[in-house]
Amino acid sequence: MILPALKKAYQGQIVLDIPSIEIADGSIVAICGQNGSGKSTLAKILAGIEKPDTGSSIDLSARSDNDATITKRYTVGYLPQQSYAFHMSVRSNILLNKDPKKTAQENAAQAETLLKKIGLESMAKKNAKKLSGGETQKMALARLLMKPYDLLILDEPTASMDTASLPTAEALIRDYQGRTGCTILIITHSAEQAQRLASQIIHLEDGKLA
Amino acid sequence: MIGSFGEAFRLIFSGDSTLYQIIAVTLRMTLTSSLLALLIGVPIGTWLGSARFRGRKVLVVIDRALMGLPPVVCGLFCYLLFSGVGPLRSLRLLYTLAGMVIAQVMLLCPMAIGMMESHANNAAPRIRENTRGLGIGRFRTLLLTMNESRYHIATTFLTLLGRALAEVGAVSIVGGAIMFKTNVMTTAIMDYTSMGNFKTALALGIILLFLSLALNIIVALIQGRFEK
Repeated sequence: MILPALKKAYQGQIVLDIPSIEIADGSIVAICGQNGSGKSTLAKILAGIEKPDTGSSIDLSARSDNDATITKRYTVGYLPQQSYAFHMSVRSNILLNKDPKKTAQENAAQAETLLKKIGLESMAKKNAKKLSGGETQKMALARLLMKPYDLLILDEPTASMDTASLPTAEALIRDYQGRTGCTILIITHSAEQAQRLASQIIHLEDGKLA
Repeated sequence: MIGSFGEAFRLIFSGDSTLYQIIAVTLRMTLTSSLLALLIGVPIGTWLGSARFRGRKVLVVIDRALMGLPPVVCGLFCYLLFSGVGPLRSLRLLYTLAGMVIAQVMLLCPMAIGMMESHANNAAPRIRENTRGLGIGRFRTLLLTMNESRYHIATTFLTLLGRALAEVGAVSIVGGAIMFKTNVMTTAIMDYTSMGNFKTALALGIILLFLSLALNIIVALIQGRFEK
């Protein structure tokens, strides 16, 4: 998979200016950098939330067997930095992202499995608005992992979680990658987390590749 | 003055049929018009606040201008539409409750749209970021945004109802304040005051105040229930 060359400026100030980057299909890639390095802008552009000034967002190019660059439309899942809890139960929140290829029972079972794995099983009936920041982030991660994507973009997926929850969340991400074979881009400011999870680490500094 | 208040309270509890008939007409008109304006205004306002397209700001400015539309101007417009020379004369809406409801809906819709637009404009970016991240489509995102706005919808309804209850210009022009048919509390207060019947006018004024208080209590209870 090739992430396209992208350029983005806000009010004349360039916040992202990167060349195309080749990443291995089915791998976990970490994008690291300080605050304001352009990590979240990159995530939003790749997820199609924001439009780049130059480059493409959702249509990421892929290489075919004969190495000729072709364009393929990937399904992209994106977890924003600020997770959102909808005004309904935790279980209903997770079931908002049902896999259309599965039956209602299969989706319900998948939701229960994810609730259990992420440690929110006892809160399944609770109004999601009542969750703490860390719990909301866990729920949002579980919600995103309900169905398979070709590319998953996680923007600081564990930033609000306590240290005890980190191994669980990271195991869930690894498990999802192993199960679906998707490519995962994880935005993190933690070098340790990048080392633990990723096979490739991309460093950004002032919107450019470091 | 204090004596008038006492007489007004006695009238309220005397079972005066004229008084209760005026209250009934008022409630029928205001509840219908507020609900219709809410049904029209909530989806349009939420969409206007959530969507990003060229010309959105123009629509917002037009809506804000219509929010300040004087009720008498709206009443006059409806009168011209419904009167014997108007394009809708065949519907025979002039001096009817239905005509008054239409005039009020025209007044209240821009308010409902404006209130929902400003709320959705603040709430939508975070919701949209999350729903797009999940691959949820625009229509479902709109429904979710409306679901997230339930308290605001209740508040909007209360505001619309308050405005509808207090409105006098449009309903007096379109309804004509016909006793036992289109006379509502505000037009009746005007009539009774001009006739020097301060007791009944004051009684209606007190009821209007109590209705407003009761509505606020109901909405507060509903909100408390939602929060649980």
